[in-house]
Amino acid sequence: MNADQVNAYLAPLRDRYPESRALILPALKYAQTEKGWLDLEDLEAVAEATGLTSAYVESVASFYDRLYLRPTGRRIVSVCVTLSCMLRGSDQLYARLCDLEGLPPEGGTSEDGGVTIQTAQCLGYCDKAPCVQVDVDETEGPVLPDEAEEFLAKVRAAAQPTEVWR
Amino acid sequence: MTDYAPVDLERGEQVEFDLNGRRVHAPPGTMLVDAAHANGVEIPIFCYEPRIGPPLGACRMCLVEVEGMRGLQTACSTPVSQDMVVHTKSDLAVDGQDGVLELILANHPLDCPVCDKGGECPLQDRTFRFGPGDSRFLEHKRHFPKPLDLSSLIALDRERCISCFRCVRFSQEVAEDGLLTFQERGGDSEITTFTGGAYEGRFTGNIVDICPVGALTSIPYRFVARPWDVTNTESVCGTCPVGCNVELTTREGRVQRVSGREDPNWIHEEGWLCDKCRYAFPAAWSPDRLTTPLIRDGGTTREVSIEEAVAAASVLLARENARPGIVVGPEATVEEGFLAQKIAAASGDAPIQQLGIPAATLAPIRALPPAELADLDGAPLIVEVGGDPANQQAIVELRIRKALRHGARLVMVGSRPHALTGLGEWHETAPGQIAETVGRLADDIKGTEGVIFVWDEQSLAQEPDAVPVLAELMAEVENAKQLELGAHINGAGLRALGLPADGVLEAAEAGDIGTLVCLLADPLSAPGASRWDAALGKTGPLVVIATHASELTDAANVVIPASMATEHEGTLVSMNGRAQRLRPGQEPPDGAAPGWQILVAIAHRLHTDVARSPSTILRTAVTERSALTGLSYKEMGRLGMRLRRPSPASANGAHAPREPAGEGLRLVTTRRIFGDGFAARSDALEHVRQPADVVISPAEASRLGLEDGDRARLVSEHGECVLPVRVSEAHQDGVAFAAVGVPGAGVERLLPADDGPVRVQLSRA
Ligand code: SF4
Ligand code: FES
Ligand code: FES
Repeated sequence: MNADQVNAYLAPLRDRYPESRALILPALKYAQTEKGWLDLEDLEAVAEATGLTSAYVESVASFYDRLYLRPTGRRIVSVCVTLSCMLRGSDQLYARLCDLEGLPPEGGTSEDGGVTIQTAQCLGYCDKAPCVQVDVDETEGPVLPDEAEEFLAKVRAAAQPTEVWR
Repeated sequence: MTDYAPVDLERGEQVEFDLNGRRVHAPPGTMLVDAAHANGVEIPIFCYEPRIGPPLGACRMCLVEVEGMRGLQTACSTPVSQDMVVHTKSDLAVDGQDGVLELILANHPLDCPVCDKGGECPLQDRTFRFGPGDSRFLEHKRHFPKPLDLSSLIALDRERCISCFRCVRFSQEVAEDGLLTFQERGGDSEITTFTGGAYEGRFTGNIVDICPVGALTSIPYRFVARPWDVTNTESVCGTCPVGCNVELTTREGRVQRVSGREDPNWIHEEGWLCDKCRYAFPAAWSPDRLTTPLIRDGGTTREVSIEEAVAAASVLLARENARPGIVVGPEATVEEGFLAQKIAAASGDAPIQQLGIPAATLAPIRALPPAELADLDGAPLIVEVGGDPANQQAIVELRIRKALRHGARLVMVGSRPHALTGLGEWHETAPGQIAETVGRLADDIKGTEGVIFVWDEQSLAQEPDAVPVLAELMAEVENAKQLELGAHINGAGLRALGLPADGVLEAAEAGDIGTLVCLLADPLSAPGASRWDAALGKTGPLVVIATHASELTDAANVVIPASMATEHEGTLVSMNGRAQRLRPGQEPPDGAAPGWQILVAIAHRLHTDVARSPSTILRTAVTERSALTGLSYKEMGRLGMRLRRPSPASANGAHAPREPAGEGLRLVTTRRIFGDGFAARSDALEHVRQPADVVISPAEASRLGLEDGDRARLVSEHGECVLPVRVSEAHQDGVAFAAVGVPGAGVERLLPADDGPVRVQLSRA
C-alpha cells in the first residue's frame, strides 16, 4: 500500500478526526486490508499520510493484537485467556491448538501458512467459556480442549474470507 | 541533572497557592512539580523531563492531591493556579505514590549491585525516599535476554526499563531522528528502533543521561566505575567552537565519561551533548598519542625527558640568528596563546600567527549584539547564512530544531544542504552569491522583530561582499542578534589576544624563519597545507608541541608531547564570545605536560618573566589585552562569562568579492562530526565515523564520467588529493563538496591558507 491510497481513504475522515494521531488506527486498519498484515512500506505509507513518524506508527501498530507486523496464516484463531475462559480451561485449549499446529507455547503461524494461533483478552462471551474467535467471525464457544482437533479441521476446511480485515 | 524546570519566583506574574499547608507562589502555568521543587518540596517523577517538551504523564509517579479535583492528579502535567490547595504528602497522595512505585518495581530486577546506574539512579533514590519500601508481588519478574546493543555506544537492558518514554521522546521530539520506538504493550513493552537497526545519530548519548533507571547505559562506561569511587570535574568540551559545559567523570586517574552539565536557566546549555563531545575523550589513549619527548638531530632520534626537550627547544629559540616564528593551533587556550605571544615578543618580536581565518572583514557583523543559544528558543525568525551546523556546531542544530517546534520560521541561505535544510525555507545559493540572495530576501526579513542571524564564519570570510549586505540588514531589524558559527575551537579566544591568522607563513616562504614552533598546530593538515609544506623546506629547526603524532611531528627536530583538553587548566572562548574554564579530569600521560607548563618553562629559559600558574597567566593577559577586560577564573565560575570588549581588529583579510582563480568546480568544505580532531582518534566513535568523500551532483558526475564509489583526483591551484566520489541529488551543480579535518584525506591541500574560495578539477583517479 502507498501513501496516496491511504490518503484517499482518509480524505473523507479527516474532518471527523482533526488530530492526526487519531487517524492512525483507521489508516492502519485500512492498510491491513491489502494482505492481512503490515510491512514496513505500509507503516511508512500511514506515517506519510498522517504526518507522524514511521517509528510512532509502528509503535501504535505493535500495541494492538489485531494489527499484524508479521505475515499471518489464512485464518487467525484467537483464544480468549481472560478469567472466565481460563477457569474453564482455555490455557489447555490454547496449548493443545499450538501443539497440534506444531507451534511453540507462545503461538504463531503454522508452517504451511494455514492458521495463526494467538491469545485474546475477554471477548465478551464469558457465558460460553472457553471461547474462540476466528478472524472477525462470530465468537464460538464453548470449545473444550479435547475438541481442539475437530475445531482446527473445521477452520482449515472453511473458505478464507474475501475481506481481510482482521 | 536536576530533572525539574527552572522557575522564576522573583520576576513576572505570580499566583499564590497552598502547598502542604504553606502559602507559596509561582508563575501561572508552571507545572506543579516544578513549582513545588522551586518551593523546596520534592514530588517524585520519572517520565517528566521538561527539556524534552510538554509532559506526557506516562509513569504516574507524581500523583498529588489537589482539593476540589477528583482523584489524584499528575503534578507533572497540572499547572498551578491561584489559590489551588495541594497536598503532596497527605495519606491519599502517599498511598497513590506508593501504589505506583510498587507497580513500577513489580518488574524491575534487583540487580542494582551490578548496574552501572546504581548510586546515581533516580529509581533507586526515589524508591529510597518514597514508596512503601516493600512489595506484595510474589510473581516472577519479566525476563529478557541481557543487554542488547542499541548501537556501538549504547546498551539496552530491557528488564530494567520502566516504560517512561523519555528516550523515545528524546529521539522523536528533540533529536527528531525518528528512530526509537516502543513496541508491544504492558509487560511486553520494549524499546527498539523502527527498522530494528542500530540507534545511530549525532545526539544518541543523551538517552543514557536521561534514562531514570539503568536500562540504557553507555558501552564505553559499562562496568567501569561506581558513583562512589569517581570524582566529577566541571569543565568545557573543547572539541568544537560551541563550548558546551561538561562534567568529566574520573576514576583511578582516568577520565571515564563525559556527561552534559546544564546551566540552571538553560541560557547556554540545556545539558544535551552531541556524541562527538561525549565520546571523544578516549583519544587520550589512541595509539598515536605522543608520550615520549624526542630530539632529532642529523638523522638520529633520541628519546629524552621533557626537561631536555624543553631545554633543546629553548636553545633553538635563543641561539644566534634563530629568527623564530610561532604558529598557534585552534585548540590552544587563551593562556597558551598569551604565553606564545610573550615568547615571540621575547624573541625579538618574532612573527606569530594562529591557524585560523583572517578576521578583518567580519568585524561589522561581530560588532552587532551577540545571541545566546537560548535566544533561539523564542525567536520568531532565524536566518541562517552558510554553514553546516549539524556537522560543525551540532548543539546549534538541536537548538534550532527546538526553536522550530516553538514556531520559529527558518530561512536558510547557503550552498551545502545540511540536516536542517528540509525543515525551513532553503534558498540554495551558488558559492559567491550570498550577497545577492540575502539582498533579495532582505525586504521579507526586515519586517520581523527580534530576528536571530546565525552566520558561518568561513562562508562569510569567503564572501566579503556579503558582509556589508548582511550587517546592514541586521542593523535594520529591530532587536536583531547574531550567532556566529565559528570554525575553530578557540578561534574567538585567540582573536581576543590579537593573534593574526597570517604572517608566519609569508615570512617562512621568504626564508625569514629559522626556528619554527608549532604549538598545538598542524599546518600540514590545515588549509594551505601545500604552501606550508613548501615553506617548511625553507625554515630551520622545527619544534612541535602536540598531543598526537602526525607528519609534522615525524619531521620535527624537537617533539614535546602536550596535554589534551581533558588534561589541563585554561580558558576557551566559545564562538559567541563566552569565556569558560577548562579543568583537568586527568593528568597527561608520563612524558607529556600541559601546554602552558611547557611554555612557562621555555619562557623562563629565555629569561622572560611570565606568571607560573594558569590563573596568574590569565591575570597578566587580562591586564595586557583589552578584549579580555574583567576576565578571571572567579568571574567565569561554573558557567563562564561573556567577553565584554571587542577583539582587536586585525589588519589582514580580503575586502573585495573573491572569485577564485583556475577552472573547474567551486569547492565547498565542511567537517565531519566524528571525523576530525580528537573525535577522529577516539576508538569509541570508530563505528559511527564516516570516511571522507567528495560529493557532486548527478549532472556533474555524468559530465565528468564519474560514478558513485569511484575514486576521483581533485586538483586545485594549491594542491591535490584523492577521494571516493558520492553522487547526490540534493547537491547543486557546479560545486564539489568535501570535508576538512579528516586525517589522511588531504582536502586541506586543495585550500588556500586563508581558507578562502577555490576551484577544483576532478578526474578519475
Ligand atoms: S529505556 Fe529508560 S528512558 Fe527509555 S523508556 Fe525505559 S526507563 Fe525510560
Ligand atoms: S473471559 Fe473469555 S470471553 Fe470473557
Ligand atoms: S512524572 Fe508525572 S506522570 Fe510521570
